[in-house]
This record gives sequence, structure tokens and C-alpha cells, in this order.
Amino acid sequence: MNDDRAPSALSRRDLFRMIGITAGSAAMYQAMSALGFAADSPYAGPVDLQHAPRGASVLILGAGMAGMTAAYELRNAGYRVQVLEFNGRAGGRNWSLRGGDRYTELGGAVQECVFDKDLYINPGPWRIPHHHRGMLHYCKMLGVPLEAFVQVNYQAYLHNSGAFGGKPQRYREIKADYQGHVAELLAKATRQNALDSGVSKEDQEKLLESLREWGALDGNFQYLASDETSDRRGFKKPPGGGLSARPTPSEPIGLTDLLKSDLWQNIPNGDIYDMQTALFQPVGGMGRIGEAFGRELGPLIRYNSKVVDIRQDDRGVSATYVDPANPDARMTARADWCLCTIPLSILAQIPMNVSPAMARAISAVPYASAVKVGLQFKRRFWEEDEHIYGGISYTNLPILNIGYPSTGYHSGGKGVLLGAYIWGPHAMEFTAMSPAERVRKAVEYGSQIHPQYPAEFDNGVAVAWHRSPFTMGCFGIWSDAARAAHYDDLCRVDGRIALAGEHASFITAWQEGAVTSALDAVGRLHQRAVAEGDKA
Amino acid sequence: MTHPSIHRLPRFRAAAVLTALIGCTAHADAAVAPAEGSGSSSGARIFSHICQGCHMPDAHGAVGAGHYPQLAGDAALASWQYAATTVLNGRKGMPPFGRPGAGYSGFLNFVMVYLTDAEVADVVNYVRSNFGNHFKETVTAAQVSALAHPGTPAAH
Repeated sequence: MNDDRAPSALSRRDLFRMIGITAGSAAMYQAMSALGFAADSPYAGPVDLQHAPRGASVLILGAGMAGMTAAYELRNAGYRVQVLEFNGRAGGRNWSLRGGDRYTELGGAVQECVFDKDLYINPGPWRIPHHHRGMLHYCKMLGVPLEAFVQVNYQAYLHNSGAFGGKPQRYREIKADYQGHVAELLAKATRQNALDSGVSKEDQEKLLESLREWGALDGNFQYLASDETSDRRGFKKPPGGGLSARPTPSEPIGLTDLLKSDLWQNIPNGDIYDMQTALFQPVGGMGRIGEAFGRELGPLIRYNSKVVDIRQDDRGVSATYVDPANPDARMTARADWCLCTIPLSILAQIPMNVSPAMARAISAVPYASAVKVGLQFKRRFWEEDEHIYGGISYTNLPILNIGYPSTGYHSGGKGVLLGAYIWGPHAMEFTAMSPAERVRKAVEYGSQIHPQYPAEFDNGVAVAWHRSPFTMGCFGIWSDAARAAHYDDLCRVDGRIALAGEHASFITAWQEGAVTSALDAVGRLHQRAVAEGDKA
Repeated sequence: MTHPSIHRLPRFRAAAVLTALIGCTAHADAAVAPAEGSGSSSGARIFSHICQGCHMPDAHGAVGAGHYPQLAGDAALASWQYAATTVLNGRKGMPPFGRPGAGYSGFLNFVMVYLTDAEVADVVNYVRSNFGNHFKETVTAAQVSALAHPGTPAAH
């Protein structure tokens, strides 16, 4: 060692880079975790693709989040990159429908979106959790401004058509009452020494204290109408100023009614890791990310290119593609390596000479059904009449969700709601309808929650993901058995071909899965390319 | 996507959903009238509420970046076993509709739609005797039960 610098002269960033280069990204990730960074994300910072072989090329199939992440990094590393994209736009499922947009689904139904200026619906992803650091990184790199996405809104509704006479209940009330009743019961059991012997005397005291606080219980550990409980569930007459200021407490819902209602099912939604505050959305719609990526990559992307055949040999990979408007003219793109991000629902139908193991994996993943309906209304009645600003109402009706816009609060004029976000059997049912029928049903069902619907409805669009020409489904469904049997075969580099996309991740259906799978695959392709060395 | 509610929703059964929906939707009957000789209104309902989402109301399929196969005048339907096995276990991106023979995770139970063997038989009979298909023999639930179901060793 002729380096006379003391070890402490190494910056932490240098240390990370050193670990990253010598031991691979997994070791780097572990090291970063141990030092208090990257503790909760598979995203380990910008991918390191140094020493790309001179002249080496990569063909990328698909200009969605995975394909464009890969194209961006590989281009910056010095690779010659070409991207083929089926759609006439960048982004894939990263997509917003705005006024003036036209969407033709499989089967030929055409929808013209006639939303007012600045109003949109995100047919695909609509939120970015704060720990999806890969997505956030690229938003930052691309200069895509973010704003808060409201996930949990205490003023929004929980609704069961068979409970409380079909009247929607405020999330605030259901949550406070559920917590209060459970706390009261548990306090009672604690005081009767009915809990297991694992709870010591000291534990009991602390537990009782915490239950009182958690459930807003009174001095006798009861959950009753009071200023304290109304401070959780809301007042019958809220406190104000002046002579009319005196508040009137509200009456909690009884335990039996509460349990019978099943509304407690949706209380913990915001506690799920991917739904925890803070969440973000791009200003102007999720599609802003794909659009920015598309601008950044410019002529590297060839649009309206439908891949019909993928062949590899010992020197490179060729993809045959056509413009769907002129399907007889077959064209070929060729590169040393190929990163294929085409959804498996489609890739399973494209001839491609990969190993039997990878071929089996590609055919082992069915695609889920999902439907979103965007409804434009003549005014933002959910804000004006019901004081709901962003967030989600949940219902047992087939529409399942109503999402309120987390942007444009108090703006005059019209507004757009996510009038349905459906999965499971109801999604298939809605997919089987015409777009106009989906919109009509979304308005009909939504009227049970917001009676303003019929008078205020203006127009709508409906996207059923199994009718999407570019995905034929919403996302890949991995059964435990299929994952165990096929996942590694799907992700392993096969000769000169690697796959990426949400389907090649454990973050199924999230954009972060696409980004992290692309970075992982690109890193492994890079290692192979480096091993092969410079091209002539 | 880890959707809310996935831990709590009971396993969906298509039949229950169909029953619930048919009460409040008219489109099914309007879209596909049960064809003559099908003798299977359950089959027609399942087709119009589930299958036609991809295979289209006229069973002609569709073409995009990939394609949904045409079931109208489909010679492959000569094998009822092929048809029933496809409905039960899915094929490539097509989801399986058969009730699993082994444990599936909560997530699957949440997004999947299951049909009983009798419903699989009904919809297979319906498709094989409509849309220009004229296959004579009728498949029974018992025959469908004998085929591999999702999660059984024979069906990966």
C-alpha cells in the first residue's frame, strides 16, 4: 500500500462506492443498511455501470417505467441504446387520461376524453409511497414536481349497502368508535385479571393507561359520549366562536352495530406499508413521469412498434417488429444484448428462443383484472358539500373505491373523481361491459354514496385493463407455487436476453417493482457485457 | 400491489357475484341472449359476465400487442377436455378459474375468480354449442371434477 491517506480520509460515499464495486450491489445494500441508510428500500441508489465496453449495444423492448429506467442508465453509461414501444407514447401503464386524449381498447371501442383543462384520471398507478425511492429518484432526476397524495382521509366514507340503512359513515367515526369499544373491552378484561399471566401488575397499569389514551376512555375506562370522545369521532355540534360556540358531543355507535356493519374491515388500509403517509403524486398526473422520460430519451424510442419475434444467437439479439398500421412491412432491430420489459401476458405469445426454463416461467403468470372509471362532475361537491379533500371512500358496492383528487382544492369549475377502482370478480364484470356501460354503472352505484351524482354528472372514461391493447391485463399474479418454481428462471439472464418489469419483482403491480427489476437486470447484463469486452 | 382489504376479503366465488350483479345490471341479457339449444343460461351468464371481457361478446377475440384467441368457430374446442382444462387452469396470461386444490396465498384469493366444476361445465357447453361451434356432447360437472385443478400436481 503506497497510499498514505488515513482510512478516515475515505468519505462514506467513497466507502459505499468501493464496497459496491468490489462486492456487488447486494453487499453495498447491506453495508448501507448497517450504516443506517437504505434501511427500508430495495433501491440502493444510482446503479453503477462503469467501464461499459466500447461500442456495445442494448435493445430494450417496451418504453414503460422498466424499459425507460434501463434505457436512461445504459445510455448514460455509454451503451448504444434503442427502445421499441408498441404505443404511440412513452410510459406504458404510467399514464394519465386528459381532455383531448383518445383511447381505443381491445374490441375497438373508442373513448374521447372530454375532461376540462388540468383535470385527469390515472388509469394505472396513482400514488408513490415515500419508500419507493427508485421512483422518487427518477422523478427528481427528471424534474417531475410532486405533491402529497392523500391516502387516509378521516372525513371520507366507509360504506356498506347493508349497514346503517345504506348510509355512508365517516371514517373518523368508525375508527374512533372501533378503537374506543375495543379499548373499553380490553380494559375491562385487564381489570378483571382475565388476561394471560404474561401480563405483570406493572404491565397492567401501563396497559390500562395506554388503553385510556388510545380509546379516549373516561376515568372509569368507559367509551361514552363526551367532549373527549367527540374530539376523536367529531361533535354533534362542533365548537366555534362567540355566543353560539358551545359544542354538543356526538353519540358513539354501539359495539354490536359497529361489528355487524363490517366497516371495520377498511380501518387499517392506511397502515399497510405501501399506503403509509407520506405518499406522492406527480403534479398534473402520474403520466408526467413517463412523458418526461420519453422527452429525455427522445429519438432513442421508436413508437408504434409491435414486436412479433425475438431471436438470439451467439453474437446478439434481433427483434422483428411491425407498425400496427402497416403490419406487412416487417422490420428488424439488432443489438448485442436485449432487455425485454414486455408484459408476460403478451411476451408468452411472442416467439423467442430462450431456455425451456425461462419459457415456462413466462407462461406461468396470469394477469389480474382491474378497472378504473374517471367521472367529471359540474362542481367539486365532495369539497363544497361534504368537506372531503383527497383520500378514498370504501364501499362494498362493485365500484369498491371512490378516490377524491389530491389537487386543485377549491378550484372553481368542474372536478374529476376516480369513480371506481375495481379488482377481483367485479373487475371482470365491468371489463365485460362497454365503456359507456361502465361509466353508467359507476354513476349509478356512486349515487348511493353521493346523492349529488345524478344532478352533477358531466362525462366519464373507463379503462378495463384486460381490454388494454398494450398489457392485456393489469399486472402479473404470482402464486406462491409459481414463484417458487419459476421466478428465478424468469429473472436470470438467458444468453443475451434479460427480462424486467413489475412482473419480475416482488413489488407486484407497483412502479417501484419495474424500476428496481430494471436496475437489477441492467447490472447483470452489464457484468456480462464487461466480461465480453469491447466491440470492434 | 398490496391492496387494502386483501387480508380480510373472503374468497370470491363468481357465482355469488353473478347472482349479486344480475339483480342490478341489465347488460348481460342485452349483450348476449342465451343461444338456442344451449340449454344453459348459467353458461351464457358466465360468458357474458366474465369471458367476453377478453374474448369479446361475439367470441371473435381481439388483437393488440398480443391477441385474445377467437372462440367462434374454433376447431380446438372439439376437445372438451382442452376447453375445460383451459378454464380451470388458465393458459399463459389467462387466469385460472378452477377452485384450487392446494393452498394459495391471501393475495390470490383476493384477485382471483373461482367457478365451480358445474359452472365450468356450463360455460364450456355454452361456448362449444354457440358462436358457430356445433359440438354435440355435453360435459358434466363430474367430468370436469376429474380434470387437473389449480394447485394439484398435474397442473403445476
